[in-house]
Amino acid sequence: MRIFDPHIHMTSRTTDDYERMAAAGVRALVEPAFWLGQPRTNTGSFTDYFDALIGWEPFRASQYGIAHHCTIALNPKEANDPRCREVLALLPRYLDKDRVVAVGETGYDSMTPEEDEVFAAHLELAREHGLPALVHTPHRDKVVGTRRSLDVVKESGIDPGLVVLDHLNEPTVAEVAGSGCWMGFSIYPDTKMSPDRMVAILREYGLERMLVNSAADWGKSDPLLTLRTGEAMLAAGFSDDDVDRVLWRNPVAFYGQSGRLDLDEADTAATFAGNSILRGGS
Amino acid sequence: MSLRFGYGTNGFANHRLADALDVIAEVGYAGVALTLDHAHLDPYATDVKDQVARTARLLAERELGVVVETGARYLLDPRRKHAPTFLHDDAERRIDFLKRAIDIAAGLGAEAVSFWAGVRPAHVSAEVAWQLLAEGCAEVVAYAAERGVAAGFEPEPGMLVETLADWARLRDLVGADLKLTLDIGHCRANEPQGVAESVRIAGPHLVNVQIDDMRRGVHEHLEFGEGEIDFPPVLRALAETGYRGLVAVELPRHSHAAPDVAARSLTFLRAAQWLGDALDQLEREPAALATLLSAARRKVGRAAAEDVRVRLLGAVTLSPDEAAELYRYGDNEEKRAVLLACPQPDLVRDALRSNDTRLVAAALGPAARDLPDAEWRQGVLKSVFMGLPLSGVDGLPQRADAELGRMLAALRREREAAGRTMPDDAVDLLERLH
Repeated sequence: MRIFDPHIHMTSRTTDDYERMAAAGVRALVEPAFWLGQPRTNTGSFTDYFDALIGWEPFRASQYGIAHHCTIALNPKEANDPRCREVLALLPRYLDKDRVVAVGETGYDSMTPEEDEVFAAHLELAREHGLPALVHTPHRDKVVGTRRSLDVVKESGIDPGLVVLDHLNEPTVAEVAGSGCWMGFSIYPDTKMSPDRMVAILREYGLERMLVNSAADWGKSDPLLTLRTGEAMLAAGFSDDDVDRVLWRNPVAFYGQSGRLDLDEADTAATFAGNSILRGGS
Repeated sequence: MSLRFGYGTNGFANHRLADALDVIAEVGYAGVALTLDHAHLDPYATDVKDQVARTARLLAERELGVVVETGARYLLDPRRKHAPTFLHDDAERRIDFLKRAIDIAAGLGAEAVSFWAGVRPAHVSAEVAWQLLAEGCAEVVAYAAERGVAAGFEPEPGMLVETLADWARLRDLVGADLKLTLDIGHCRANEPQGVAESVRIAGPHLVNVQIDDMRRGVHEHLEFGEGEIDFPPVLRALAETGYRGLVAVELPRHSHAAPDVAARSLTFLRAAQWLGDALDQLEREPAALATLLSAARRKVGRAAAEDVRVRLLGAVTLSPDEAAELYRYGDNEEKRAVLLACPQPDLVRDALRSNDTRLVAAALGPAARDLPDAEWRQGVLKSVFMGLPLSGVDGLPQRADAELGRMLAALRREREAAGRTMPDDAVDLLERLH
């Protein structure tokens, strides 16, 4: 099984995780810029973080044969802090970078006017830089937040095929499925989605535009839940090809729209392992 | 405006024509330069009309443009290469062949038909040769004009018309319907002016372009990178002429590996074109450098990216602050390029503090020359510690001293205490310093 985790915060993870992920078949990942648990108080804190996302973290991942890409944005939570909002002016510097494959995470946290403004600005940046957008749907009041996010996407004029709404669940999937946007699901040990619930959604809605991620970060989470979802799919009667589509070809197709995915590392790792089935870059 | 790259079927001599067209289209070329030959649309075949119709269909299905080339070696005479030419006693056979080629070109909707003079036989004086050539060409050009086919005459090293100046002389004799086929490689082999300048001179007359690498004075068609041509400015110059026809790779001696060579060549040409455009943009707009550096890998591929970044950096005169800014906001590949192209001690120090082997290696190249000895030794020690090969350290034999030897010896003792070994090259250096 070859796995592309389209949403995982490796900055918060140890090298043990990289090792386990590589052993589990993870060959590529995307690390979205998000908040760090501890609120930031100035723009320098963001730029050092962004530098790590395009510098140190890809290097760390490469030690395990994993191709690391990232998305860059001012996250919705910190969009509410005027000390952080100034980072908006610095985003274009990063959005041109080679390993930046989308604008994100953007979207809503508490659905404030500030978040409205920053979300719209991010979608405009995505258009300007020819990038997809990764939209975080809020943890609270998710149905309303998802609906409102779809409205903002629609108003922005961005091609819905360039947008993923993430952290979806049973109450929110139907509207996104009809919008033309991609659907992201974060599989968590307790909250968000579980592998079995994910399989049920795939059964009902099909495999098209579906992205499955671990969203593992500094909280209780598990970077191998992508693999567990693949296993649950097989146990439920999905084929190897179906699993490959959801866990590899779909994220390659979505982020590939940036024109910047570089999966050579994933290829090299697979070659080292001597297993041609694991070769990346569909 | 993007150039339209094509590939010459004479570089696919071991393929059936239909197969060659498949491969060339799959690789991503926009067209083919079709050399009429025994196995590839033989103009003397009894079913040539059917073959033309079939080939036209194959081209259309693959959305390939086409020019017709007439340089087959033994199509007219199995014993004498390229014979007869305009300059032989039996030149009418050459002229008949070229008329057939023009008919085929018309049938294929080809953008041009291409031909050349031939080598002057020893018994024919230069004066007579020019007269024969002018008369023959006039007949061919008139025939082509009646059929709406562009007639591109190609200067060939060693032939009667071998330079652009020779071509201009012939055009004066034949008239303005004589257009030009230019082989970019030939320009390097024998034109008095540079290749880009040759392209600018040729521009207004071009109906067909062939491309390949070459060395000065040697008429040998080489794969890109094996000759002496700096392609980015040449392709830029070609685009600036407004030429919109095919630019077809001409590697007639590479048929044995045609699919691979075709793929490599297109990758090279696209990268060279991007770099040519980027260098041109930097002349007008130096501020575009940051964006271009970031885009290099995805535009030219991973293998060529570093050289391209270094070249982009070298194309702009940067103040120390500007270089530092590019380093500050660069990803680690861009930081490496700054260290290689325009290093400063502070940037080298920053790189040496990092734990990214690529940055440390770049910092210990020529970039480290201005670093005080104490910092340089720490850098070398760190690189050994990280497992980097010492061969990448600039000036090591001259600069390595007893103090570095002491530090390496201490590292060796630590390693041995932990049951680990030192890399062989570090042990060699250590022993030399003792």
